[in-house]
Amino acid sequence: MIYNPFKLLLPALLPSWNFFDVIAPSPRIEFALLHSENDTSTQWQEFRPRPAQLPLSKMLSRMFWNPRWNETLYVISCAERIMENTSQNNLYSHSENEILNRIMNDIVCNKMLTENHKAQDNPTTHLQFRLLVIQRKGLELIQEVVFQSRITPLSVCTLPMGDDT
Amino acid sequence: MNFDDAIRLTEILLGFAFAQQSIEHFSSFANERLLFIPRWILAALLIAGFHTSWVLLLLLIISLAILYRFQGPYNGGSDRMSLLILCCLCLVHFAPTLRWQEMAFGYLALQLILSYFISGWVKVKNPQWRNGRALRDVFQFSAYPVSEQLREWSKAPWLLFVMSWSVILFELIFPFALLSSTSLYIALVIAALFHFTNACLFGLNRFFWIWITAYPSLLWFQLRIIAVS
Repeated sequence: MIYNPFKLLLPALLPSWNFFDVIAPSPRIEFALLHSENDTSTQWQEFRPRPAQLPLSKMLSRMFWNPRWNETLYVISCAERIMENTSQNNLYSHSENEILNRIMNDIVCNKMLTENHKAQDNPTTHLQFRLLVIQRKGLELIQEVVFQSRITPLSVCTLPMGDDT
Repeated sequence: MNFDDAIRLTEILLGFAFAQQSIEHFSSFANERLLFIPRWILAALLIAGFHTSWVLLLLLIISLAILYRFQGPYNGGSDRMSLLILCCLCLVHFAPTLRWQEMAFGYLALQLILSYFISGWVKVKNPQWRNGRALRDVFQFSAYPVSEQLREWSKAPWLLFVMSWSVILFELIFPFALLSSTSLYIALVIAALFHFTNACLFGLNRFFWIWITAYPSLLWFQLRIIAVS
């Protein structure tokens, strides 16, 4: 389902402003590189892990230039949309495509494919991602897989985003 | 601040915020560049004051196209505030009388007050916020902290308890800042510092720029209330 932009505009005109009213389960995105569309994922990598530290100078410069983090926040909101609509396939396909495209750009543009991945006899050709959700249950944090995307071929990238951790 | 100055300052700040947001998409997908390069040009025209009414209308059309492209806001609340300000400015420019113009701009000021008050109200109702657990969860496992080092803050419960109540109380008493110009200026400085901190800790830079864009509406609104009363 594709939403009408006027319907999407309504929450801006009549906002709820209930920021952080509850701390919702938090999604994490992991992806796997596969050798065929029938391959089974075994090695999952975290999508855009946050840096161990971020110096104050970098925090301040991000006031003016913060494209990668803002894109990561958008990808997280896509993951949340999928989590809200996992029972209705037609509602999450847009978000699934958005996440796949952005992972693919990171992989191909940032040259994350190693020589091992490109090996002639068994090259990496496909991509899949999964969503893990982290939530509090009592005093413990529980982590579980809630969604696995379709497997899609790795295509040629046209997005020179560059690395900006 | 008088009505015309507040409108003009809001237009300039909105132009800056839109330009800053748009430029971040210049190295993105081709279909995003197609939307954000014209938006950047229109933002520059808005700052320059060139045919402002029509520039605002074109910005609204592009904003609808962006909503359609991303099937919702790209960055949640900051995009929603951007759209709210843009719609209110459009109404100001196309409203037939001064009274309607003031109502449109006053609506923006009212929403700005509500943005703080309702945020505080939903927090104070939640026991997890009252005991500091909610903010600990934000640092411990939410997607927002910009570095792993910041997650260590979740191990300082007293600090987060104090921070939680500071935020809740500030948001709840924000409407009372309208009682005088001095208190309003102080409240807006504190609010801007709050958004600045969020930008540093959680990478929410767009919230900072777009929320301060709405501040001139409140500075005008406060004087308008005094004039009426």
